[in-house]
Amino acid sequence: MRAILITGANGGLGQAIARAFLSESPENVVWLGVFVRRENVDKLSAEFPERCRSVELDVTQPASWKKVVETILAEHQRIDVLVNNAGKHHDSLLATMPVDSWDSILKINLDSTFHGCQAVMNSMVSQRSGRIINIASLSAILAPAGQTNYAAAKAGVVALTQSLAKEMARLNITVNALCPGFIETDTISGMNPEERKQAQSRIPMRRFGKPEEVAAAVRFLASPEAAYITGSTLKIDGGIL
Amino acid sequence: MEDVTALKERIKAMMVENLMLQVTAAEIADDMPLFGPGGLGLDSVDALQLVVGLDKNFGLKVPDPAAAKEILQNVNTIADAVQKKVAA
Repeated sequence: MRAILITGANGGLGQAIARAFLSESPENVVWLGVFVRRENVDKLSAEFPERCRSVELDVTQPASWKKVVETILAEHQRIDVLVNNAGKHHDSLLATMPVDSWDSILKINLDSTFHGCQAVMNSMVSQRSGRIINIASLSAILAPAGQTNYAAAKAGVVALTQSLAKEMARLNITVNALCPGFIETDTISGMNPEERKQAQSRIPMRRFGKPEEVAAAVRFLASPEAAYITGSTLKIDGGIL
Repeated sequence: MEDVTALKERIKAMMVENLMLQVTAAEIADDMPLFGPGGLGLDSVDALQLVVGLDKNFGLKVPDPAAAKEILQNVNTIADAVQKKVAA
């Protein structure tokens, strides 16, 4: 049995990651962290009642993390994989960005990753094994205008990943970051045809990525075959440089 | 209450196993500093493992850095803390 916790599990990417683990092995038990919306999580839990659980998790609150981790440990006595996927963006030019927007985006994208890693750390140290996969963004590397808050938060996630990977390497705990580019999720589906065309013209592969293509990388990084990969940042973006 | 000598042996054995030390339990003196030169030379990651190991194996919580500084000096101070917890 492998206990896997995924945050932001109601969104397109979270759903694809959950499905990737559920289809990988009957040994995988997936815990889905939900907060505001949960309709997709409920559907998935109904589809896999034995191996899919949902837990209420406010990723910005250490107390909420503690409760979720205690719940998982009470059932499995271990946590094998944490996927910090919860995230949000609220774009505007820095000159006009409300301070609240800066604060909340940093909290949801960066603070949440810190709290999540800290919450599972004692368990993974005790096990002397674990996999942490942090979903950052291409914006962490190629920061576009209008995303000073989001890009800074995701760049912070990449730096946190590298630093924590060095701290935990000798304990067989790997920590890696993924930087998805344009992926067919709710964000993309909100674009009009002209915006889609313009965005695709910037991608060498001339198409958006599928959530399943990101999920496959997450699944690989959590696998035994990826045991020697830690502190890495993997771009999944159709070749944008 | 467990004999203090036996308790210290258990603590040393746990340290050797959990921290994958390149010394035997018998080579760790009761008053040997755990950190810094002239001692076991543990680092901060070892300290984290030690804290988790003490909780798991002895039920001893090391709640903050101040407590860690006091408890994690050497095997004697760890054994004292374990015994105080048992007596409490």
